[in-house]
Amino acid sequence: MSALRCATAALLTLCAGCAAQPTAPLPPLSARTADANARAAALVRAGDYGGAARRYEEALALARSVEDADAIAASAINLSVVYQWMGRDGSARDSLKIVLDDARRPFSERRRLQAEVRRAILELASHDPAAAAEWAARAEQRCQRMACELAPALLNIKSQLALDGGDAAGAARLGQAAADAARSRGDRPEQANALRNVARARLAGGEHAAAVAALEQALAIDHALADPRKIHADLVELARASAAAGDRDAARGYLERAQTVSLAARDPRSLEDMEAQIKLR
Amino acid sequence: MSEEFRPPVRFPHLLAKVNAFLLVAVVLIGAFVAIVAHKQGWFVNQTMIRVITPDALGISKGMPVKLFGFTIGSVKEMQLVNGGVDVQLAIMSEHMPRIPRGSRARFARESGVIGASVIEITPGKPINGELVEGEQIDFDRSRGISEIVEEFRRQAAPAFAELKNALSQVNRSGEDLGVILSALRGEMEQLPTTHKAMRRLIQNADQATQQMNVTLQSVQRASESVERATPALAAKLATTLDSIDGAVGQLRQTAAEAQDTLRGVRPMLDRSESTMRDAGEVFSAAKRVWPLSDAFKETPDAMLPIDSFDARGAQGAGRP
Repeated sequence: MSALRCATAALLTLCAGCAAQPTAPLPPLSARTADANARAAALVRAGDYGGAARRYEEALALARSVEDADAIAASAINLSVVYQWMGRDGSARDSLKIVLDDARRPFSERRRLQAEVRRAILELASHDPAAAAEWAARAEQRCQRMACELAPALLNIKSQLALDGGDAAGAARLGQAAADAARSRGDRPEQANALRNVARARLAGGEHAAAVAALEQALAIDHALADPRKIHADLVELARASAAAGDRDAARGYLERAQTVSLAARDPRSLEDMEAQIKLR
Repeated sequence: MSEEFRPPVRFPHLLAKVNAFLLVAVVLIGAFVAIVAHKQGWFVNQTMIRVITPDALGISKGMPVKLFGFTIGSVKEMQLVNGGVDVQLAIMSEHMPRIPRGSRARFARESGVIGASVIEITPGKPINGELVEGEQIDFDRSRGISEIVEEFRRQAAPAFAELKNALSQVNRSGEDLGVILSALRGEMEQLPTTHKAMRRLIQNADQATQQMNVTLQSVQRASESVERATPALAAKLATTLDSIDGAVGQLRQTAAEAQDTLRGVRPMLDRSESTMRDAGEVFSAAKRVWPLSDAFKETPDAMLPIDSFDARGAQGAGRP
């Protein structure tokens, strides 16, 4: 009996040791901001970008009402992502200006870096490499010695800029650096992006086999991430690399797979791209 | 012895008479010459100007040259040159200031188509300066009667054509008039039939009016029936409204009871909310306790991924 008491007391002591101080409940407006952000994230996962944008706008307004600089920056950056997915590049740029053009508000260096990288991505997507390079350079100054969390994304942007500028060797080198940085940080999406960039650079340099190998690695990662747009991009690049290597059957197979992916994902832009690719055959 | 012989004088003072005759003849000849010279303008200062005309038909030496209908000179000389006839006009110098450069000469007749031929000068603008001796002015060839007749014929031809068309239309209108008259005749023949049809229509309208009277009487009867039934309906409606009023009262009573029930449940709901909040805090605390903390790792930042794949723009596969 005494042994049972001792065991019970020891167990309670152990549980008490594991217990932690309960966190202080959030203030009402901060709770509403967090709730709006959570709902927006759920809507993004459901594919309702319009609804997500409205929620992020609500979160931004709430954060502004209490002058929560970090929440303002987070909501603005999230809004820029959703707006870009909706094809509203101008609105995305305006959202980022909330962080980038207000030097007086005490945004953290991390938020400013995130906004600058997002702006570089946006400008590159808008086919303005000069502006993209400028914003990437600003972000690189903030990300000292590429030790920040966004270093792989930044290196990937620079790799794409080099490739678009015709520097295939530089693009391959930067893409490989991005792949290494992403691997060391466990950032699998950026690792796949980096491998895709390396493959495109190798393909531009005439190294077809190396390009196919890098794309196969990227495809394996993207299968694990289950991101159809990236799987589609990998398959299209694989088709291009196989065609360049002279393997037309393999190229046709990759294209058919890519078409199946885009049809299943109901992505009209991908389908148009695919049709253009097939006509090129 | 004898007297000096004196021949007999048949024509006494003959010499004086001959001399007087010769003197008168000379004076007359001189006067004639003076008159001719005056007429020829020998005593008038003249200026020669020239015109070149394609042909000299109708132009002759001595032909008067006129300005605004006044004779100011004459045709002095005509000679063939390359491309026509060079006609020299002697113009009285006192009139030269009225003939500036740019003046034009033309062949004309004093009374239009017929009449004496003249050279008529049409003066140019004074700002061009005066003509000088030997200078040339342009010559407008006047139209002959054949050209005038030809132009008249050309201008009159459309009018004659229009007149011809009008006459033909009048002829056709005459034909149309015949057609119209024949159609009118046909209509006139059908007038009795139309008259009969109109009479039938009036009879039908009369019958329709009688039927309408019957219908109106029926409507009047129906309205009287409605008027009689309205009090009974109103009474029934009042009864129905009373029933509805009762039902509303019962509903109000039920709502009041429900409100009382809710008022009783409210503390329980408050307590359950408080309990749920406590449970949430307990659950949050439990999530942070090992070994559950590994299973419930919260993302420190509710951020969407900043993905460099989005930089591909249109090349990318679009939205996630």
